[in-house]
Amino acid sequence: MREDSSDAADDFGAILAAALESDSEEDIAVLDSKRVRMCKEEENAKTDESQSSASLGFSESNSDISKDKACSHHGEFMKGLCVVCGEMHPMPSSGVAFRYIHPRRARDTEKLLSQKKLYLILDLDHTLLNSTPLSLMTHEEYLKAREDSLQDVSKGSLFVLPHMHIATKLRPFVRTFLEEASAMFEMYIYTMGARPYALEMANLLDPDKKYFDARVISRDDGTQRHQKGLDVILGEESAVLVLDDTENAWTKHKDNLILMERYHYFSSSCRQFGFTCKSHSQLEHDESKPDGALATAISVLNQLHSTFFAVFEAEPSVADVRQVLKSLQKGILKGCRLVFSRVFPTKFPVESHPVWRMAEQLGATCSERMEQTVTHVVAMDAGTGKSRWAVKEKKFLVNPGWVEACYYGWKRQPEDRYCIEQIMKNTWVSEEPHSIS
Amino acid sequence: MFFHIVLERNMQLHPRYFGRNLRDHLVTKLMKDVEGTCSGRHGFVVAITGIESVGKGLIRDGTGFVTFPVKYQCIVFRPFKGEILEAVVTMVNKMGFFAEAGPVQMFVSNHLIPDDMEFQSGDVPNYTTSDGSVKIQKDSEVRLKIIGTRVDATEIFCIGTIKDDFLGVINDPATI
Repeated sequence: MREDSSDAADDFGAILAAALESDSEEDIAVLDSKRVRMCKEEENAKTDESQSSASLGFSESNSDISKDKACSHHGEFMKGLCVVCGEMHPMPSSGVAFRYIHPRRARDTEKLLSQKKLYLILDLDHTLLNSTPLSLMTHEEYLKAREDSLQDVSKGSLFVLPHMHIATKLRPFVRTFLEEASAMFEMYIYTMGARPYALEMANLLDPDKKYFDARVISRDDGTQRHQKGLDVILGEESAVLVLDDTENAWTKHKDNLILMERYHYFSSSCRQFGFTCKSHSQLEHDESKPDGALATAISVLNQLHSTFFAVFEAEPSVADVRQVLKSLQKGILKGCRLVFSRVFPTKFPVESHPVWRMAEQLGATCSERMEQTVTHVVAMDAGTGKSRWAVKEKKFLVNPGWVEACYYGWKRQPEDRYCIEQIMKNTWVSEEPHSIS
Repeated sequence: MFFHIVLERNMQLHPRYFGRNLRDHLVTKLMKDVEGTCSGRHGFVVAITGIESVGKGLIRDGTGFVTFPVKYQCIVFRPFKGEILEAVVTMVNKMGFFAEAGPVQMFVSNHLIPDDMEFQSGDVPNYTTSDGSVKIQKDSEVRLKIIGTRVDATEIFCIGTIKDDFLGVINDPATI
């Protein structure tokens, strides 16, 4: 015991001597509290131009951080230090100062447009994948048996990451989606998760780094706390499309947003949103590949892309992806006139109700009176006056789920699949209202 | 770890203090300004033990203030990576616990708490072994090892571990 303690003292003495004599700052890092996150040298901006893709230059290859003993457990940071090894948070080593972005943005966009590509921003959670903390996985241990190996990321879809204590399920069709989209778009990942999580997910989706490269934006990179913004994207707003399941994150850029149905694979994900319905894992099947949200998304993106470039060929200055998106949406229910019954609470300002607004976005006109020009009655109950009038006049009688299905499906759904009886049988479950405010 | 070192500082004094007690005023002002602060290089200044010398005062142009360079001896506290400290636990949660050793605050993550200790939430959140023999809760004293430090302008923060030999609870408040 004696020897042990003296050995320890000697070591500590060595530490002392080294620390006191040298001026090296290797174990202290003095931080400038006013350091701007994205401040950096302009040389990189100039060298980046020679790169083929218009990336923001977050690439780690520019790093001159010598302590490359990358802590594999850099999962959590507390006040800038990794909780497991005590090393400083490896901040992105290169970035572009904001005031230099504007001219770059215009140049970048031009370059991409000349390559016939637009920008596409993808959200991660509930859009391309679904993650759950390991502690919240239930009897889904059976799924763990079918988990795909982390060694060959390109084949599997359900991964367990023990060092981050999460399991992740990729949405069906996602690999085909990424492959097809990469031909038309330059893609970014933009998530509200932490940076280490974002990088891990990017690795699962894109192990060869051919889709996203370094274009991964996490919540630490955004400029506002709970909002996503296009200010960190190196592209003009008229050429950017966003695929996300949460509208509230994009209040300033709603016109660029394509809203997606949420992907709930794990039951913890359903519970998080307050649903009591069963998640995919519990029902033991998955979203269908040819019919799922991603398949719809890729066909919509195809349409948008070709329409945009048709306009662009004719008149480049007028081409705006937001206009194309809006006109595509307005074409879905064009010519439909809807009347609602027992959908809105009485004395409610109906024009601000989500279903009304959704219908108007889809190009339908909404009215409060029953007239001959009405084509659809949207109701929750088959016994109301308006519902019976609809049956008598041979108008379409549908439940509000039809409007939602048209919105997410990007086409006019067959009305007979959304009849009122489904509400009675409780087979129709609506997503919680995405408030369009 | 504590050090007893000589530091220098330029003190500005208002003309109203010029007089018999100029030096006393200077020393009082120095103590008020410096004790309790933290610098990146030296750490926290805990106490001033004595004044070594007070240099010649220089009158500033424009104002009537006079600047005196003062050399003083003081005790400073600076934590080092690899150092072993005793600290008092201030907060416990499921991510780990916070502890304070004098002016420096430290965090020990649950990754670096021995695996046989589990977090128990409740009125008094704590980490405890499966047989209940060892408990870490608020006001427990623990011996921990610092594995990383970070120095700001005004505070020092450290990450620690109790996963090594001879580390962990020293004194259990529950048994007092």
